[in-house]
Amino acid sequence: MRMTRFLLIGAAAFGLMTAASLAQEAPGAGVTIYMQMGGNAGDGATLARQTGAAAAAKALGVDQLNEQFSAWAPEKMIEQFKQALAANPSCIVIMGHPGADAFKALVDEAVAKGIVVTHGNSPLTPLMEAYGPKGFGYAGVDLYEGGKLTAEEMIKVGNLKAGDKAMVYGVFSQAERGLSEKGLADTLEKAGLTVERLEITQEANSDASLAVPVLAAYVQNNPDLKAIGTQHGGITGILAEVLKKAGKKPGEITVGGIDLGPATIDGLKSGYVQLTLDQLLYMQGFMPVLQCVLTAKYKMPGLNLNTGAGVVTSQTINDLVSLIDAGIR
Amino acid sequence: MKGALSIAGSASRLEAAPIIVVFLLLLLLFMITAPGVFMAPNIYTTFLSTLPPLILLATGLTFVIGAGEIDLSFPAIIAFSGFVFAILFKEYQLGWLAVAIALLSGVLVGFVNGLLVARLGIPSFIATLGAQFFWSGIATVLSGGKSYALRGAEESSVWLWLVGRFQFGGDPYDWYNQVSVQALWTALIVVFLWFILNRHRFGEHVLFLGDSNDVSRVVGVDVEKEKIRLFTMMGALAALAAVFLTLENRNYFGNQGQGYLLLAIAAVLIGGTSIFGGRATIIGSVFGCFIVMVIETGLVASGLEGSWVRTVQGLVFLAAIIFYLIIEEPQRWRAAIARLLPAPLAPSRKGGDEHPA
Repeated sequence: MRMTRFLLIGAAAFGLMTAASLAQEAPGAGVTIYMQMGGNAGDGATLARQTGAAAAAKALGVDQLNEQFSAWAPEKMIEQFKQALAANPSCIVIMGHPGADAFKALVDEAVAKGIVVTHGNSPLTPLMEAYGPKGFGYAGVDLYEGGKLTAEEMIKVGNLKAGDKAMVYGVFSQAERGLSEKGLADTLEKAGLTVERLEITQEANSDASLAVPVLAAYVQNNPDLKAIGTQHGGITGILAEVLKKAGKKPGEITVGGIDLGPATIDGLKSGYVQLTLDQLLYMQGFMPVLQCVLTAKYKMPGLNLNTGAGVVTSQTINDLVSLIDAGIR
Repeated sequence: MKGALSIAGSASRLEAAPIIVVFLLLLLLFMITAPGVFMAPNIYTTFLSTLPPLILLATGLTFVIGAGEIDLSFPAIIAFSGFVFAILFKEYQLGWLAVAIALLSGVLVGFVNGLLVARLGIPSFIATLGAQFFWSGIATVLSGGKSYALRGAEESSVWLWLVGRFQFGGDPYDWYNQVSVQALWTALIVVFLWFILNRHRFGEHVLFLGDSNDVSRVVGVDVEKEKIRLFTMMGALAALAAVFLTLENRNYFGNQGQGYLLLAIAAVLIGGTSIFGGRATIIGSVFGCFIVMVIETGLVASGLEGSWVRTVQGLVFLAAIIFYLIIEEPQRWRAAIARLLPAPLAPSRKGGDEHPA
C-alpha cells in the first residue's frame, strides 16, 4: 500500500515535470505558499521539514515560500493561519495540532476564497474528509500506528516482558497529536507492561532541555524502570543526557523515541537510545509544497501520505549521519 | 541641524510620537517589501481579531510598570480564567454568567497578587512569578491538561457580542465583513484607561508610586490600597483577554497565554513606559503592540528565511528604543554616546554635535 502511494506520487511528480517542460514554465510559477513549520527555525524536529520544503519550492519554481514557526503552540498556529489567510496566497500548509474544531472555520473561509489548504505532522481527519477533493492532503505519520510501531520495536530490542515498568512522556492533552504517545503507551500496556503516562509541559514542549532535571529525577526515583518512550523529537534528543545524569549505563533502560536530530544520533551511537521512529521530516516539508502546486495548478485532490516508514537503530544510524547533518534526514 | 532638532522637539510633545514614527516606518517598509499583503485591507482586519488580547494585557501592564512594579502572572490568568470560562460555557452552558465568573476569577487572582505585594511586602517580581506557576498549575490540574473545543460557540450571543464580526452585507468573507467586535471593545477600554491614567487621581497615584513609594505616602497616597487596585485591574484585563482569546479560537488550550509574557512586556517597554516606573504611556504601549505584531507578519510576508526572523525582530526592538531615546530623552542619549566614545570625540555638554579642536 505504501509502495503504491509512493509510485502514485512519483508518477504525479513525473507527470508534472513533463507537463511543465512542455509548457516551458516552472510548474510552481505563480504559486505562493504560507507554510507552518511547527517548532523553532533549525531545531532537530523542524530543520529537515524546512530543507524539504525549500528543496521542493526550488525544484518546482514556486514564486514564494513563507515559513511560519510557532514553537508548537496551538494558539500561535491559529493566529498564523489568520495571517496567512489575509495574505491571500495560492496555498496554506498547516500543522494539525490545534485540532479540527479549532481550524474548521478558517479552512472553510480559505477554501471559499479559493485558497488551497493542506496539512502535515498531525492529522485533521474530519477536514481531510470534507476537503480532500479540494487538495486538503496530509503528509505525516499515522500517529497511533507510529507510536505502536515504536513500542513494538522497543519490546523486541529491549526484551521487555509483562510486569516490566515503563514511562511514556508525551503531549497526551492534544487530542490528535497525543495519539502517537497513546499508541505507544497502549501497545506497551497490551504487552503486559505497567505504564506511567507523564504530560510534557508547554515549556518543555518548546525547549526540551527544560525537561532534563525532571526526567532525571523521575528515573532516579524509579529504580525499577525498564523503558522510556516518547514521540517528541526534542525530548528524544535529551534522553541520553537524562540517563547519564541519573547514573544509568547504556542499555540499562530501553529508550524509544522519534526523529533524527543531531542529539538523537549521539544518543543512538552511545547506546543510550535504542531506536527512533523515522517520520521522514524532509518528506513532510517536500510533499505539502508539491501538493500545493498539484492542486493550485492542476486541481489534483489531496494525497494522504503516511511518512512513518520505520525505525532507525544504533546499528543502522551510521549510513545516515551525513544526511542528517545536511538537514535532509 | 537646528531644524531637525526643532522637528524632533515638536514630535516629542505628542505622546509616544517616536514610537508612532517607528511603526509608520515599519509599515511603509513592509508595504514596499510585501505590497500584496500590506497594501490590501485583509491583514489589517486580521490584526483586529488577533491584537486585542495583547493590547489589553499591555495596557494593564503599562499601569503596573508605570507604578514601578511588574506582573508576570497574566499568562497564568489567561489559562486559568480561560479554563473557567470554557468549562462553564461548554459543560454548564452558562453563557454570559460564564463570562462574568471568568472575569471574577481574574479579579480574584489579581486581588491576591495585590495583597501579596502591598500587605505582605513581597516584591512583585517574586509574588507574581509564584502566582504564574501556581495558577497555571491549577489550570492544568482542573483541566487535566486537556483542550476544550467550544463547538457551536459562534451561534451564541456571547460570541456575537464579544468577538463576532460586524456584517455589512455581501460576501461574509470579504474584508469589510471581517472587522471583529472585540476590536471595538478593546478600543473603548483603552480610551477609558487612557483617561484614567492621564486625567484621574488613580493614574496620578500610579505614577507617584513609580517615582517613590515614600514620597507618595508623604503626599497622602494610600500606597497599599492603590497597589491592590492596580493588580486587581491587571487581573481583570487578563481575564477579559482570556475570554476574547478562548472565544476567538473557539477552543481552550491548556497552555494558552504562555506566549504573551515577553510580547506584552516588550510592547510596553518599546512604547516608552519606563521600566523604573514614574512614566507611562498607553498610546505608546498600543503602538508597541502594533510593532510587535507587525514585525513577524511583515518579515514572513516579505519572504525572509525563518531563521532570520528573530534576529531582525531583536534589531527592530533595539532600533525603536534607540530612536525613542534620541527623540524623547536626548540628554540620556548624549550621555550614553559620551560613555562609548573616547573623551576627545565625545559630544560636549553644550552641543551634542560639536567636536573640540
